[in-house]
Amino acid sequence: MDLVSLQGWLDNASFAVLFLTMLLYWAGAAFPKIPYLQILGTTGMAIANLCMAALLGARWIEAGYFPLSNLYESLFFIAWGVTAMHFVAENMSRSPLVGVVTAPIAMMITAFATLTLPAQMQSAEPLVPALKSNWLMMHVSVMLISYAALMVGSLLAIAFLFVTRGQNIELKGSSVGTGAYRHVPYRLQKYGETVMTAESARASVEVASNEGAMEGLGNTAVLASPASSTLSAAAALPLSPQRLSLADTLDNISYRMIGLGFPLLTIGIIAGAVWANEAWGSYWSWDPKETWALIVWLVFAAYLHARITKGWQGRRPAILAASGFLVVWVCYLGVNLLGKGLHSYGWFF
Amino acid sequence: MTSKTPSPSSEPPSFNLSRSLQYYFKRELVPLLADLRLAIFLLLAIAIFSISGTVIEQGQTQAFYQENYPENPALFGFLTWKVILTIGLDHVYRTWWFLAILILFGASLTTCTFKRQLTALRWFSRTWNFYSQPRQFQKMALSAELPQGSLETLIPLLQRQRYKIFQEGDKLYAHKGLIGRIGPIVVHAAMLITLVGAIVGSMTGFFAQEMVPSGNTFQIRNIFDAGPFAASQIPKDWSVKVNRFWIDYTPKGTIDQFYSDLSVLDQAGEEVDRQTIHVNKPLRHKGVTLYQADWAIAAVRFRLNNSPTLELPMAELETGGKGRLWGTWLPTKPDLSDGISVVAKDLQGILLIYDKEGKLVSTVREGMSTEVNGVTLAIAEIVGSTGLQIKADPGIPLVYGGFGLMMLGVMMSYVSHSQIWALQTQEGFYIGGKTNRAQVTFEREMIAMLEQFTEGSAQAAPESALHPGTQTQASV
Repeated sequence: MDLVSLQGWLDNASFAVLFLTMLLYWAGAAFPKIPYLQILGTTGMAIANLCMAALLGARWIEAGYFPLSNLYESLFFIAWGVTAMHFVAENMSRSPLVGVVTAPIAMMITAFATLTLPAQMQSAEPLVPALKSNWLMMHVSVMLISYAALMVGSLLAIAFLFVTRGQNIELKGSSVGTGAYRHVPYRLQKYGETVMTAESARASVEVASNEGAMEGLGNTAVLASPASSTLSAAAALPLSPQRLSLADTLDNISYRMIGLGFPLLTIGIIAGAVWANEAWGSYWSWDPKETWALIVWLVFAAYLHARITKGWQGRRPAILAASGFLVVWVCYLGVNLLGKGLHSYGWFF
Repeated sequence: MTSKTPSPSSEPPSFNLSRSLQYYFKRELVPLLADLRLAIFLLLAIAIFSISGTVIEQGQTQAFYQENYPENPALFGFLTWKVILTIGLDHVYRTWWFLAILILFGASLTTCTFKRQLTALRWFSRTWNFYSQPRQFQKMALSAELPQGSLETLIPLLQRQRYKIFQEGDKLYAHKGLIGRIGPIVVHAAMLITLVGAIVGSMTGFFAQEMVPSGNTFQIRNIFDAGPFAASQIPKDWSVKVNRFWIDYTPKGTIDQFYSDLSVLDQAGEEVDRQTIHVNKPLRHKGVTLYQADWAIAAVRFRLNNSPTLELPMAELETGGKGRLWGTWLPTKPDLSDGISVVAKDLQGILLIYDKEGKLVSTVREGMSTEVNGVTLAIAEIVGSTGLQIKADPGIPLVYGGFGLMMLGVMMSYVSHSQIWALQTQEGFYIGGKTNRAQVTFEREMIAMLEQFTEGSAQAAPESALHPGTQTQASV
């Protein structure tokens, strides 16, 4: 089998499939009443995920080592990671909105790798002596997966900021458990007032759109507590659960994805530090990439702490998480522009 | 000294001072350092100052900064080489102000760990708080009053989800994922341990570099960085012999790997250990580690006509940053009136030979010979020298211990701690729950559980308590 032509076919295919997937998710969000769009989007994402896994697998067989030696390979690995993390987030939230933000970013990464990178940067190359270690797989793959998880989390934070623009929001979910309590206005609301199941909500777009939160986005997500008091008929009905709103869901899934990416980032940095100490005797040397990974870590650590700070809950941590998206990209790509070093994949200007 | 209860005048002033210092420490300093907003501020401050060190080149010469950051025009209107050198932006990570921020961060971390994290452990000593009043369920978002249901039907559901269940009469408390509460405490403690390890290492460790030609024996002397208490770490009773240094090349001519065959010799010169090291595989002996870090060409061994094998050292030539070259001058006449320049660029065994005018006259391989200036030059060997980085860091066990705990702690911190309360009364069955992190997943679990409940009782009450939408929808 010709692995090289297979790779050429697979990278174009994953780009095309992701492009289509993005359109499907966007259409699904714009027209939530059209059936099957979400299932089609999820299927597209799965196909793209498998294409990229096959591409990396073919590289592995061809080069004989885990394919993370150059920018092209690492871009496909991170795009694969984004699609994988998409499934984690989608499965957690059961919301088709996840794909609205993850599909375009995965598509853009593959587009950059297949269309922009010059051919000599796409071909597999032998590893330099310093990278010939089993630590490479451990350190780099964990780092890239953590970037993918953090990016998905940051994108969801951006979506949260978009959905809640102009609103005052209290966050749900943090290590101390804020937000598990009822909103004050709802405190004594009884059964029948606040409950809406997904099925009933889908049929009542009008009610939910009163919230302003889901304008133009549809509301097939885990659904909002309706603002209207038209339902408060019988006050004597028993207590019933107060459901999370779309904004709550987005925010919490964003928090969970960052909560997943942060441990991975910590493990990845530590793996790199241990490797550096084993290979050349210094676990920290303020190399630009190392420093930027630390900056990413610090920004998301600040985010996690902002969530439990009184008076800072709301949109402020989400802004921090959203800016984390930029920081991750500077760390991942920007450092290549700064110059050479073990961490540089090189650049093509 | 302006306390409301003035201290008796008989008390010595020093006592007062220590009292007020203590007061200041407890009431002012500790709460300030334990303030989360300070921690967030410090995290972001370290991030921002770290960025400056990745943008501005570090550790260059003054001339470099003068050339790249001229006074006119100044970069961004202020960033001249004078500013850079004055603030220390040429070595950000070693400036006093960066270290001061790190120390402040360490203080904040320590205070938070003891003041916030460890006190959170009180959670474990408390008695299980059962809810005994229906109103206690109202404050939770995910709570419900069910017309039917009992603790007996709830318990198997909770067991299936692996909750730890506590029951007292009609009251029930269940929880799972407690390690999610311990995780952050472990992370903070681990960071402190790592920090202590780093300080121990910088106080008692040392760094050295040696460039040693193949075949030579050396003691570690060229120490370029050592902590104030590092003296005992520097080995004096053993030396290292470089048996051989070589480079493996790929078929394409790029470097595959560097190797040094090293022997550790005791004071009598007896070999006590022998290992071949390469990048990613150092040699360790008595707490000192030798890493393969660099290389050079040390000498060339050759014969002229029928001479014995001679050796001339080779020196690195100035190339202006365009690759590395080593060369030497080799006389070809007994009175030294004529000679050739011999140049090598790597250890692949090719030597370039230039005459007095600087013209390339020949190339010769290791083990081969060539005719120059009427003499036969036979190259026996190009001798490489190995660049070793040598280090002792007694803080490493602590640092690694901290690393291990930190990895464990961050993974634990992902787990969401979920708690469920239930109460059976005459009026009905109350159930409520909350979780600290995974709100969305917990909500789904909780709703699914409540639905199972109502399905179980559906025969008795046809109207599902959790699907009022079908009823109320018509009125919208």
